[in-house]
Amino acid sequence: MRKITIDPITRLEGHGKIAIFLDDEGNVANSYVQIPELRGFEKFCEGRPVEEIVRIVPRICGV
Amino acid sequence: MPKLKVAAYWAADCGGCGVAVLDINEKILDLAAAADIVFWPLAADPKVEDVKAMADKEIDVCLFSGAIRNEENEEMAELLRKKSKILIAYGSCACFGGIPALANLFTREEILDKVYNTSESTSNPAHVLPMTSASVPEGELTLPAFYNHVYTLDQIVDVEYYIPGCAPVPEIVWNAVKALIDGAVPPKGAIFAGTKTLCDECLKVKEEKKLKEIKRPIEVMVDSEKCLLEQGLICMGPVTRGGCGGRCTKMDMPCRGCFGPTEGSLDQGAKMAGTIASIIDSTDEVEVEKIIKRIMDPAGTFYRFTLAGSMLRGKRREGVS
Repeated sequence: MRKITIDPITRLEGHGKIAIFLDDEGNVANSYVQIPELRGFEKFCEGRPVEEIVRIVPRICGV
Repeated sequence: MPKLKVAAYWAADCGGCGVAVLDINEKILDLAAAADIVFWPLAADPKVEDVKAMADKEIDVCLFSGAIRNEENEEMAELLRKKSKILIAYGSCACFGGIPALANLFTREEILDKVYNTSESTSNPAHVLPMTSASVPEGELTLPAFYNHVYTLDQIVDVEYYIPGCAPVPEIVWNAVKALIDGAVPPKGAIFAGTKTLCDECLKVKEEKKLKEIKRPIEVMVDSEKCLLEQGLICMGPVTRGGCGGRCTKMDMPCRGCFGPTEGSLDQGAKMAGTIASIIDSTDEVEVEKIIKRIMDPAGTFYRFTLAGSMLRGKRREGVS
């Protein structure tokens, strides 16, 4: 099956890529959106004072 | 003069550095007149394949923001290094690790377990974690490997210049852009920022620094005229490079050090520990202990933006390099 990869997805905040699989006739058999990005705010906010969280989580997305 | 070819890329970051380019406002027109954007995922459509097809050193200037967190970030750093004459670590994440480098206080496994298994909003009964390769009925899908550690850009590739800040301030971005357009290229390693400390440009009145008590910002009504550190708040001003104009302290928010260590300083956090030690107004061990215990989160505060670039680079554990 032929695979077309769009990497990266552009004009947005964040990282993404799309894999499109084509069947023998060239029609789309299936497609997958993948997010290759992880930073782990869920974990590294642990242990930070609550009043500092408002100065950390704006960096999840700055757009 | 032929137009410069400019690229901008983001690794582990939030996109705020890209938006900071637009904060130069109408000067963006001068930039557009002097330069063509050949790659910038935030605002233009060229793909990674297009960059790979370029000749080596074809890009004149590349603004690289974000820390190196995974395999893709590293590959892109190496690709853009190869294709660029001038590579700039743009923003605190690329310069020092930034906020994403707080992850260096944890292991890869601790982070993945929290995000994909135990966080309150997650239901993952099969405990599936991201895989670098996965088979689907139609073929194979790949994801970059998630590293055990976050790196600064210059720990991975050679870097010409640094523009710190979370996010970089428009005046500095423009000064850097203009210098490069005009061909006024500074010596390698130059940092586009101030050369003095943040305290030096903070307008608050400073008297004698003597700490009897350390307070949390939520515990005090701040006197806007006076030095925040002298009021007992942990403010990173004495150990942070200036250049931002005191954006946070102007709003009575203590500095968190996003411009990184001062000129000649090797480790911003260690310098802050030394600063606190030198201004505690007591020689009684028990009292000193009581005062410093009020620093809630020394690692996460003193190294808020610079953990990856610090001397220890993160929490040291037995058996973990």
